[in-house]
Amino acid sequence: MTLSKKAERKVICQPRESGFLLSFYAMASPCEVLVDTKDKRLAQKLAEMAATEAWRIEDKYSRYQQNSVCGQLNLRAGECCSIDSETYLLLKFANDCFQMSDGLFDITSGVLRKAWHFDGSDTIPSQTQIDQLLPLIGWQKTQLSEQSFLMQKGMEIDFGGLGKEYAVDRALQLINNQTDVPVLINFGGDLAVNKERMVNGKAQAWQVGIDHPSFYDKTVIVEMTAGAVATSGDANRFLLKDGQRYSHILNVKTGWPVENPPSAITVAAPQCIQAGFLATLALLQGENAEQFLTDQEIKHWAIRE
Amino acid sequence: MQLIQSPMPAQNSNKKALKSLLTTATCALLGVNASVEANTNPLADWKFDTALMVYSEVNRVSAAEAIIAGTKTFKNDEILNLKVTLDALTGASANGAVGQPNVQTFTSPSGGSNYRVDANKTPLDDTFKDTRAQASAQWTQPLANNYTWSVGGNFSKEFDYLSLGANTNIAKDFNKKNTTLSAGLALAYDQIKPSGGIADPLTPMLFGNEVISGTYDDEGGENRSNKVTIANSDNKNTVDLLFGLTQVINRRMIVQFNYSFSHINGYLNDPYKLLSVINNNGLTQQYLYENRPGSRSKHAFFAQTKYHFAHSILDASYRYMTDDWHIHSHTVDLHYRMNLSQDNYIEPHIRYYTQTAADFYQPFLQEGSTVPEFASADYRLGDMDTYTVGIKYGMPLGSGKSMAFRLEYYHQTPKNSGFSQPGVLAEQNLYENIDAVIAQVSYSF
Repeated sequence: MTLSKKAERKVICQPRESGFLLSFYAMASPCEVLVDTKDKRLAQKLAEMAATEAWRIEDKYSRYQQNSVCGQLNLRAGECCSIDSETYLLLKFANDCFQMSDGLFDITSGVLRKAWHFDGSDTIPSQTQIDQLLPLIGWQKTQLSEQSFLMQKGMEIDFGGLGKEYAVDRALQLINNQTDVPVLINFGGDLAVNKERMVNGKAQAWQVGIDHPSFYDKTVIVEMTAGAVATSGDANRFLLKDGQRYSHILNVKTGWPVENPPSAITVAAPQCIQAGFLATLALLQGENAEQFLTDQEIKHWAIRE
Repeated sequence: MQLIQSPMPAQNSNKKALKSLLTTATCALLGVNASVEANTNPLADWKFDTALMVYSEVNRVSAAEAIIAGTKTFKNDEILNLKVTLDALTGASANGAVGQPNVQTFTSPSGGSNYRVDANKTPLDDTFKDTRAQASAQWTQPLANNYTWSVGGNFSKEFDYLSLGANTNIAKDFNKKNTTLSAGLALAYDQIKPSGGIADPLTPMLFGNEVISGTYDDEGGENRSNKVTIANSDNKNTVDLLFGLTQVINRRMIVQFNYSFSHINGYLNDPYKLLSVINNNGLTQQYLYENRPGSRSKHAFFAQTKYHFAHSILDASYRYMTDDWHIHSHTVDLHYRMNLSQDNYIEPHIRYYTQTAADFYQPFLQEGSTVPEFASADYRLGDMDTYTVGIKYGMPLGSGKSMAFRLEYYHQTPKNSGFSQPGVLAEQNLYENIDAVIAQVSYSF
């Protein structure tokens, strides 16, 4: 198992008109690095750095890996666990997101998955089931310091809404420390570019098509010169009962799905982790998702069915 | 299904708090992590400035200089600055003697050789080739209550010269950091060990068969000298005190005032400089080694203003210096930086400097008159005007890298402060102009 997983960890390099496309697989997603250079060794070096960083973050913060920092924190819920500075900063960011969203964005909400299975069926959990889980949710019940993290027994955290975006930002930071050639990073639809590309001596925006896995006929075309976009939403994940559609976006305060959110929303921000948070926070506004972002003067593209 | 493009930003500014909160939160996450990378690349958070400079006087000294300076800013705004400078000097400099209608012969400082100066030429000593290495380190850190403290040291070595220095400075910000008061102290110790030893002041330069040999240096080698020596080496001590006031006038303008006091004590002669002793016909009879007072106290007043126009910056400064050798000098320095497109800039520079002579300066001594206690014919202590005009072009190279080119022309006009030139000296130019070109390339990354 370990061996085959390691074997998957390689970067494939393909030449393209303006440079190279380097692809690999990380964080359960296809990942790409586009480097506008004629220097193949540079392109490979940069992509290796991006991939290594993505795999490092995956290994450290995947909730599926019991030995990851996230896995260990969940396993040892109820104990005061010592944490390193990177983990502190990520948890602190999650804390800031919790505060900024008035408690709607909560990395402890994952336990609701025990009640909700968005498999397209009509299996709706009972209120009793949900009520049993609600006491295990609530970032305000955790204690975070620079050296330690403590949550109640039975609680869980996951970096699902932040980890991939964080990896994009970190990878681009590392690349920017090495070069100033134009680079685009795309980790499973969360992407960032460092600068505009030069085509025939003229600066040009990157044209990015954002595919929504559930809408094969719709691609959002985004033009980027610098900054990031991230997308939240998955139209395949819902429940349908008695003619009512239940989205997979759950309100952590009630434990029930948010009503009538967009199927997917793509948000632009200077950093990918900001875009990711804003996209998720917008979906949590349900019906008002687009208005919420418009009020904040945040550029976005929403898909509704 | 519908695809909705977000409308143009709403004119609703009171709901924008989320953006700025998010920016702050992200800064902490991605900003601090950036410094974690220092573990893999220890130079990642250093900023380097490098420069290569060539200074070339027409027919005289040429110098090449290489500078590399590194600055690292630490987490709590402490700043470490390290700098290394290498200079290589070749060519000839005026030895202080006056031109003559005939060829003049001088003995090199080591006594080992002679050099000849053509008739009607300013005597230049072309035996100098020197390399200087300098290194300095400065540590600056904020303290509580808006104080900033800085401490540093420097070291400089050339074959006949050693300089050691230490300095400290304290500054306090007032008035929401619009006003800064500072006070500093610098100490320096310099040791000079001239080729051929320290001359007995105002004694003659020795020639050919007069050259003294027979003493031995530390390695047992034979010393030779073109002078009567009183020591192998000598030294001087310098104390500098600096007081400053910086004031932000408004968003566009800042002014600065400094006062500095400097006291130097010890051996202040230039060990290689001579004075010609002439007879009534203006003909040189002998050459004496110069002698300067054993101390010097200077007061300097400096004022500077920088003004930001929409697309340009004016930097103007004035300095007045006076000392107990009765040298008074005025310096006016103007830089005007004009921003071109995309962070390119062009910066013309003009500088004017004028000084009066030291009271013991004289271009020569006259036979039969009393030898004064102090005398020097070093043109750098005489009346003079200089000006510099130059231009600099700077351009960004992306990723925080930049490059700049500087080209300057320097003109020096030494002046006669009232000395008559008897006999054949009337035909000689005792105050020869110096022209120099300065070219510099600098690169920051």
